[in-house]
Order: sequence, then structure tokens, then C-alpha cells
Amino acid sequence: MATLEELTVEATAEIEAAKPMYKQVNNERLEFTEADYEQAITDLANSKFDEQQYGYIEKRVEAYGALSEQMDMQFKDATNGTTTWVDHVAKVKADFPKPE
Amino acid sequence: MAGSLIKIDEEIVTSAVASVTLGGSDWDSSYDVYMVKLNNVTGSVDTEHLFLRILVSSSPDTSANYDRARKQLKSDTSFTNSSNTNETKTYIGQQIGTASNSQTNAVMYLFNFNNASEYNFATLEELSWRQAGNLHGNQGGWVSTVQQASNGVQFYMEDGNILSGTFTLYGLKK
Repeated sequence: MATLEELTVEATAEIEAAKPMYKQVNNERLEFTEADYEQAITDLANSKFDEQQYGYIEKRVEAYGALSEQMDMQFKDATNGTTTWVDHVAKVKADFPKPE
Repeated sequence: MAGSLIKIDEEIVTSAVASVTLGGSDWDSSYDVYMVKLNNVTGSVDTEHLFLRILVSSSPDTSANYDRARKQLKSDTSFTNSSNTNETKTYIGQQIGTASNSQTNAVMYLFNFNNASEYNFATLEELSWRQAGNLHGNQGGWVSTVQQASNGVQFYMEDGNILSGTFTLYGLKK
């Protein structure tokens, strides 16, 4: 797992490659200042760090699906003796693991 | 006319920019309440959020003082709550991208922006057609937990550029 410093190096390279970057102010398209570029690097590095640390949460929530569908899975499992819901949850957790 | 919306600033993006500023030198501090409208905002990188920061003395406030509380409405799955504290920005658009029709539309009302002794609040009503091809919305708002006056807002993508969109700032006439 990458540290914030390592992700900052990665973000710096991406912002350098993306230059020139522009901002729109007062209907003028102006190139970023040095301060803007530094902020863009900080923001991108922090975004990468957040995605690495916490991105799995949102992905899991989406992949679990609607509660009504999960309840339906559980009802059918209880009725039929199957393990569809447990298998589903286990697959989601495996697909989007929590960072160590 | 009382109750009218008076246009203060509008930015129409037609070529890629990394950020868009509403207000700043165009800010008119004579209003109590402002409305911000976002229409057809698109991004250059897939599955990225559109973020907002307030402007303090025309510069984006990057301090970790943004809190949010919202209900996320989702066409493809159950609704969820969305909340957090002490963020360095607050998200507006959700996971948009280059897919056909992917875009964000939103309306916000801004409160206390000219009051240096109160927090800056905003309500948010937003809908995004996401990169994944479904509709997600937000109902709720955000606050900057600093007692300070502000003079606008800045929008930027989590990664990449804003490709197009109309960003409009209105003052709500008393």
C-alpha cells in the first residue's frame, strides 16, 4: 500500500503531464499559477489516498445491492436451505477488500 | 422586484478547464441569500466527483472545515446517507464521466456568505447521470464551520477537467 508521500510523487507526475492546466474566472480561461498547480497536486494525492484507504466502502455498498433484494435472498435461503446471500456478501468482500 | 433572482455571474465552459470560479471580483455583497445553478456539467475523466470550495478573499478555502449531511437517492439501489466532517472540500456531482449523457445538474442556496460572525451554509439539490449509466441524487447540504465572510465558490473535478457546463450565480433580491 502506498504512503501519502508516494502518492504525492505519483500525483506530481500526473499533474506535470497534464500541463498546461486552466481555470475559468470572469469568463477568461487562464493558465494555473504555481500555487494552483501545487494545490492540484495536493488534492490529487489526497484523493488517491482516500480512494486507497476508503474506496472499498462505497464499492461494497454499491455491490451489496438493495436491502429488499438481500432480504429476498435471505428468505429464499431460509426456505430452500441455500447460501446465496452469504455467498453474495462473501464475494463482495473478496472483490473489494479492506486495505491491510 | 421583491423575490427576483438577479444574475451576478455566469461561467459557460466550452473548452476544458480544471476549475471554475463564481463570484470573486464579480461578487455582489448586497444580498442575504444567493442561488447557484449548475447545468450540464461534464468531466474529462471517468467516475470522478465534482467538488466545491468557498472563496475567501477570492481564494479557495482549502482548510479542513467542510461538513456535509445529505440523503443520497439512487435509481439502481437503496437510498443511503452521506455525511462527513472536516473535509477540505465538499462534493457536488457524483461519479460522472465521459459516458453518453453523463452529467451533473444542481441548485444550491448559499446563506451567511457576507456575515463574518456566522458559518457559511448551503442547501444542495443535485442530480447526476453517472458514468455507470444510472441516476444518483443528493438532498441536503453542507457547511463551512468557520465564522468568516466568503465571496464566491470554486468548482473542480476530483481528477481531470470540467469539459462543459453552465455555472450561474444569482442574488435573491429581498
